[in-house]
Amino acid sequence: MKIFLPDKSCCDAGPGPVTVEALLRDLGIDPIGVIVARNGTLVTEDAIVENSDEVRIIRIAHGG
Amino acid sequence: MTGRHLCRGHFIAGIEERVAETIRSRNLIVPGDHVVIALSGGKDSTALLMILARILPSWESIRLSAITIDEGIFGYREDTIRSADDLVVKYGLSHTTVSFMEFFGGTLDAFLNGREPEACSVCGILRRKALNVAAERTGATKLATGHNLDDEAQSVFMNVLRGDLPRLVRDSGSDSQGRFIPRIKPLMFISEKEIAVYLMLHGAWPDLPECPYAVHALRGEVRGMLATLESKHPGTMLHLMESKAKIELQCAGRLEEEAIRPCAECGDPCSGEICQLCQLKKTLR
Repeated sequence: MKIFLPDKSCCDAGPGPVTVEALLRDLGIDPIGVIVARNGTLVTEDAIVENSDEVRIIRIAHGG
Repeated sequence: MTGRHLCRGHFIAGIEERVAETIRSRNLIVPGDHVVIALSGGKDSTALLMILARILPSWESIRLSAITIDEGIFGYREDTIRSADDLVVKYGLSHTTVSFMEFFGGTLDAFLNGREPEACSVCGILRRKALNVAAERTGATKLATGHNLDDEAQSVFMNVLRGDLPRLVRDSGSDSQGRFIPRIKPLMFISEKEIAVYLMLHGAWPDLPECPYAVHALRGEVRGMLATLESKHPGTMLHLMESKAKIELQCAGRLEEEAIRPCAECGDPCSGEICQLCQLKKTLR
C-alpha cells in the first residue's frame, strides 16, 4: 500500500486489508482532522483499503 | 457528521440545502441585501462563496460580492490571494482587496516581530477593523464569514472554560448594537470536514499552506480536545451548539447589556474608554 501522508511525504506499508479508521489510528492520525482518498476517490472511515491501493491522507485545517 | 453515506450529487445538494435552511431560519439574508463575503481564499471562505453563488441567484434581489484582506504574511497570503482572485473571476463577482499596509502602515509580519505568540489576537483586532471599513466601502448590508461548526463549537467551549457567560450568549451579528454591518455565518452548522469534502467533490480543494502563525493559536489546544471528543462521541460539536442555544433562550433579556460608547480616540463603538484597536496601535512598531 502506497500511503501519501498529510505532510506530502510517502511511505509503503502492508497492513491491508484494513479499514481507513484503523489505518489512521495505526499512523497516529485523528480521523476528524483528515479526509482520505483511495485510488483517487474519497472514502469514508469504514471503507477497506488493500495493500494494492494508493491511499492519500489530506489534512483539512488550513487556519486563517 | 450526518451518519449517512451519500453519493456526490446528494452530498453537495445536502450541504447547500442545510446552508439555505440556516439562512432562512435565522433570517441571515433578506430581499434587497448586498452580501459581501470575507474571502481569504482558504477552504472555508471558498466554500462559502461557492455555496452562496449557487443558492442565492434563485432568491429575490440579493447582491453578492467579496473582499479580501492582505495582512502581509510572507509565504502564505500570496497563494491564498491568488486563489481568491481566481475564484471571483470564475463566479463573476465584484472583488475588493485591501491590505494592512494600506490601513495600518505595515504588514502583520512586521508588527509581530518579537511578539509572535500574540499573532492571532493582534491579527484578529486589525482584521476586524479592516473588514468593517472595507465592507462599508462596498455599501454592503451583510458581511458573511466562513466560520464553520468546528469554529463555533470551539468558541462555545472556550467561553464555557473561561466562564464568560455574556460572550457565550452574544450574537456576533448584533454585538455592536447596530453600529457595524451585521456579520453572518451561513456555514455555522457545517463541519470543517464536510466543507473539505464539498470542495473536493467540486474539484475545488485549495491545496494551500497552513498559516505560519497558527502554531501560536490558543484555539489549537481546544481544537485538539474537541476533535478527540467528536471522534469518540460523534455529535459533540452539534450538542455544544444546542447547549448554547438553550442557554441563550434562558438568558434572553436577563443579562445586562454591555454599554457601548464611542472610543475616546477614534470614535468607533467599544465597551471601554479606548477601543482595542487604538490600544493595540500604541504598541505596534
